[in-house]
Amino acid sequence: MMHKTPLYELTNIVCAYEDEPVLQVDSLAIPDEGPVAFVGHNGSGKSTLLKLLSFLLPQVSGELRFLGETQDKKDDARLHATLLLQEPYLLRRSVFENIAYGLRARGEASLRERVVEALEMVGLSADFARREWYQLSGGEARRVALASRLALRTRVLLLDEPTANVDEENAQLMAEAVLDAWKRWNTTPLIATHDLQWLDTVTQRRIFMRRGKIERIAL
Amino acid sequence: MERGDKAAASTCLLRARGGDATKGCIFLDYLSEGFLQGFSLIFSGNEEVWSAVAVTLKLSGLSMLVTLLFGIPAGFALGYFTFPGKSLLRLLVDTLLSIPTVVVGLFVYAFISNRGPLGQFELLFTIPGMAIGQTILALPIVLALTASAVESADSRLRFTLLTLGARGRRLLFSTLWEGRHQILLAAVTAYGRVTAEVGVSMMLGGNIKWHTRTVTTAITLETGKGEFSTGIALGVLLLCLSFVLNWAVSFLRRRGAA
Repeated sequence: MMHKTPLYELTNIVCAYEDEPVLQVDSLAIPDEGPVAFVGHNGSGKSTLLKLLSFLLPQVSGELRFLGETQDKKDDARLHATLLLQEPYLLRRSVFENIAYGLRARGEASLRERVVEALEMVGLSADFARREWYQLSGGEARRVALASRLALRTRVLLLDEPTANVDEENAQLMAEAVLDAWKRWNTTPLIATHDLQWLDTVTQRRIFMRRGKIERIAL
Repeated sequence: MERGDKAAASTCLLRARGGDATKGCIFLDYLSEGFLQGFSLIFSGNEEVWSAVAVTLKLSGLSMLVTLLFGIPAGFALGYFTFPGKSLLRLLVDTLLSIPTVVVGLFVYAFISNRGPLGQFELLFTIPGMAIGQTILALPIVLALTASAVESADSRLRFTLLTLGARGRRLLFSTLWEGRHQILLAAVTAYGRVTAEVGVSMMLGGNIKWHTRTVTTAITLETGKGEFSTGIALGVLLLCLSFVLNWAVSFLRRRGAA
């Protein structure tokens, strides 16, 4: 029987902030079979794990493999995995430029179509692209930030507490958008959250974390 | 105009001797007359007034061009990168923020006067020579404020740019672009400093009519000569420039904070 290469493989990983270990993973394989959630209380190491998996934070020791390969060139690796921070930052530009930024960085063509498509996935109209960053409400800014990640069609989309300070309608829209991206482009959502009710609408596959360590795996 | 000014001044003095009660009123008459004559000088296109304005704009334009060309990249590097001696360099730049204009004038004078190491270029009493001094005044402002803008950038900015796929030059330019409102604020503040200074322009320019006489040196001279209305005309023009600059600063502050 052929085994599909895991999306990520972590072996003896240690991540630290100012010499203080905040994440220790002896062994973990995240299969390439759909959305996975990291569940745990504040300080359990979820955000650090997401930054590691999006190649934004280097490990102090251990080995991280992405689709079977160690990624030595982080700049290249980051083109395959993008992270939406818990409090997303919008560039001081228009909505269009925010969404097109990553596409330009990748040298993609047909920016207009990709931007409109991403906006529609998060329930916003094409006209919205003309707005400036300071004209958006909190919920709209979060949806634009998500659209800027969806437009990239990366292999992995990492979401850190996507429903924090978000109303029910927006949360539902976000769930639908990430599942849509998975079905359309095989963009696998990896989600850190403690909103279990919302998580039920996205995935049942969960990795439980506690104090910087993997506590239980239910995949 | 000259007679009118002097007459107004002597009337003021005579009436002022009459007692304190009328003193304030007479002074206001004198001031308002000065303003009226000042405005008439501006709108009648007085060549001397507009020559000083032209020299000021030429000089400040030249010094700001050099300041921004060097100041923005150097200020960005100072704020963005970590290197040995960085705090010492920041301290030096911050110290230069409050350097007196006459001190700058003195040092540059020593360099560009005939006996100085740059004497052969004959820069003394020329606009480029004055621009050297003004650049030294403006550069620390642009350096310090640009560095602060980069240092105080939102901590999420770097993660966001990286995760969207920025790297190398794109990462640097995007970081700089995000701080553009603060950097423009730095430029406007530096421009305000160079247009308002007297020391450098007086020492390095020599206040030569039609050549190196700026608005500020002209105000000093005309007031000393008792030509109050010319001084007011120039002062009004400088105030207008200051108003535009302050309006720009407040607009940029609001936009930067949005």
